[in-house]
Amino acid sequence: MIRVIRRYDFSAAHVLARPDWSPERNRNVYGKCANPAGHGHNYRIEIAIEGELDPKTGRMLPEGQLDEAVRRRVLRELDGRFLNRDVPAFAATVPTAENIARHIWDTVAPDVSPARLVGVRLIETRNNSVEYAGDEELA
Amino acid sequence: MDFSASYRDASGATSGHNYELEVTVSGRIDPETGMVIDLKDLKELMEREVEARFDHRSLSDDTPYFRDRPPTPETFAALIFSLLDAALPKGSLHRIRLSPTAQLSVEVTR
Repeated sequence: MIRVIRRYDFSAAHVLARPDWSPERNRNVYGKCANPAGHGHNYRIEIAIEGELDPKTGRMLPEGQLDEAVRRRVLRELDGRFLNRDVPAFAATVPTAENIARHIWDTVAPDVSPARLVGVRLIETRNNSVEYAGDEELA
Repeated sequence: MDFSASYRDASGATSGHNYELEVTVSGRIDPETGMVIDLKDLKELMEREVEARFDHRSLSDDTPYFRDRPPTPETFAALIFSLLDAALPKGSLHRIRLSPTAQLSVEVTR
């Protein structure tokens, strides 16, 4: 079984706070990440796909297909943004690393055919990363 | 291990990479040695099977493996898996990860 993993970088700001909670409750749950002014990360995305190799090209996907999908649909949406304010997906959803990974999964999954998406890893800091394999029931 | 190799792509252009290769073996811990495998043996095997064949070579011109398939990261990783799998104790090769660049890795498992 062959798995191809491609890495991409972007930078963004976010606040971990629910608009429907009080500032005290947000501080209790999210700690310093709830500072309304926001803070930023250099994020790294790792996209893992599996599938058959095209016998003629020896590639799992045509050259550039995944890069084009991630640049057009993910990096353009997230890079350099204040996620809570600038990205509709996070208007009502707290942009935790978990939720960002799931959002990237949902955005990229339709564009990797004939391969299939098997993992999205979002590295937020050198100490924290999240892996999402698409098996979560959407709330 | 790290090694360097070149290749000719579909358009005939020659390119090359510093490849990074990670090899994972699995198995029971030998009660006498406390090891799954002697890493010195694994290193020598990787040098013989991979480095000696590919380091500072052209995959397209200096090896027989890419006459009927293009030398892509995917096909190269699959080849390295089969070479190591044949040389290691049966079933002990768990995974290889070949990274031609910092942005791309190919993992092969059984």
